[in-house]
Amino acid sequence: MKMQFLHTIITENRHEGPGYAQLRFRGDTPLAGLPGQFVMIRGDWGFHPTLPRAFSLVRAGAEGAVLVRDVGEGTHRLTQLQPGDALDVLGPLGNAFALPPKGVRPVLVAGGVGVAPLAFLAQQLHAAGRSFAFVYGARAAADLSLKDELAALGPLHCVTEDGSYGETGLVTAPLQRLLDDGTPSAVMACGPHPMLRAVTHLALAANAPVQVALEAPMACGLGTCKGCVVTAHDGVFHYVCSDGPVFDGEVIFGRAP
Amino acid sequence: MTASALTTKLGPLTLANPVIMASGTFGYGIEYADIVDIAKIGAISVKGISLAPRMGNPPPRICETPAGMLNAIGLANVGYDVFVNEYMPQIRARGVTAIVNTYGTSTDDFSELARRFSDVPGVAALEVNISCPNVKAGGMHFGVAPGPAAEVTQAVRRATDLPVIIKLSPEATDLPGVARAVEDAGADMVSLINTIRGMSIDVVTRRPRLGVNMGGLSGPAIRPLAVRLVYQVAQAVKIPVIGMGGITCLRDVLEFLLAGAHAVQIGTASYANPGIAVEIIDELARYCAETGVVPGDLVGKVELNQ
Repeated sequence: MKMQFLHTIITENRHEGPGYAQLRFRGDTPLAGLPGQFVMIRGDWGFHPTLPRAFSLVRAGAEGAVLVRDVGEGTHRLTQLQPGDALDVLGPLGNAFALPPKGVRPVLVAGGVGVAPLAFLAQQLHAAGRSFAFVYGARAAADLSLKDELAALGPLHCVTEDGSYGETGLVTAPLQRLLDDGTPSAVMACGPHPMLRAVTHLALAANAPVQVALEAPMACGLGTCKGCVVTAHDGVFHYVCSDGPVFDGEVIFGRAP
Repeated sequence: MTASALTTKLGPLTLANPVIMASGTFGYGIEYADIVDIAKIGAISVKGISLAPRMGNPPPRICETPAGMLNAIGLANVGYDVFVNEYMPQIRARGVTAIVNTYGTSTDDFSELARRFSDVPGVAALEVNISCPNVKAGGMHFGVAPGPAAEVTQAVRRATDLPVIIKLSPEATDLPGVARAVEDAGADMVSLINTIRGMSIDVVTRRPRLGVNMGGLSGPAIRPLAVRLVYQVAQAVKIPVIGMGGITCLRDVLEFLLAGAHAVQIGTASYANPGIAVEIIDELARYCAETGVVPGDLVGKVELNQ
């Protein structure tokens, strides 16, 4: 899929809970993209902030979408964009989740705003008529920003750390139950790195392959700035944008010691 | 190359226009071929090449700062062999005017790179990076004083007949003095400014936001500093000056020309808009057509207040 640099306009800014916005945008040509791939986006605000921001695609096509969490000046401005505002979009970038073969159940595990690429993946699986399991964890109910959209697609196990919605605790408990239920599974996860490490170790212990989508600060999105390196468990550097953002969990986090 | 209003002569190097992509901000250029007419850009200064591949610094390597960014990449690159065998053929095939930015940890490294690149087809010039703030050895060490800067320049000059650009650091206490020293040592041009060291601290974790604590500041935040140094260096040397530092638009290009630059480089701004150099080249062509001047007419034409 060819990378494009699109001058799009915002078609919708969906409030998805406090500090969360799903931005939908449309350019002159459709934005191709698969679950796991990402875009670099930027509003029309001069050169402060300077850099575009990387977001996983929540949807692609004639209308693209990303999920923004307000964590700083750039993301705050993005959450304030209104329909009709300009949004520059570079993408699709990076690789995508590899779908497991038929007969292997995809188990999607999302932490917080890491739900974005997995929501796209869930839509794709749903459209293809494939069954899957979805574990969605966050600090509190307000951070489960896409839970209604996801509940319509298939079975959803919600977990909150403060117990304000669903099961109390971490994603690892429902994940372990799924891995123990005897159905051959392949895990696909996105969220904070400590969560991804724990998910990887659980999956590998159950002999389930695991893919993780990573995030890192980046300037270019396509391998030129060399800014987005992550250090794997064995000390090897990997570039999130050009080697990923989807990696074999074992490559990044290794097996449990 | 057909001569046009934008044709730019930089000593032994002639470019179709005076806009160059700054090293380290545009990869090897070919990555952008799907979305940018890369052959139209005056030249692309590729990501710094060392003799051996370099892994670079531990993360985080970049962070955003007011109207700019800090980076501490540590000159991660594929090394001479991979660059020449895998990237140069694609760069040539795409019709890119390639300036090869070189980095070494010793004078011998720099002269060896210059010697080897002399025989590589498609290399328009060498840009010798004696000003990287993000590496432990070499880099900026060579660029902050006239003696070491001249030594590297002389070694490179003896090793190659390619046009030699020396990339200067704003960290030198007497940058005009360094520029004069590299001119005397045989440099064909100087380019400036490389990034200046900065630091940003996360007040919650109390840790610097870069893995190696400090990094090079770039972007519009450094433009006035760059304009001042370009002006001072242009006053000090006769060789052409290539100016850079926070250029984002035609107005900024004109500012650097007036300060004394014969050509400019665009870096950080291309992260915001990968096609920015081509857009600026088109704007510059329109500006020249409308005003009847060519870029050379503006070089150094700032009129100081008395």
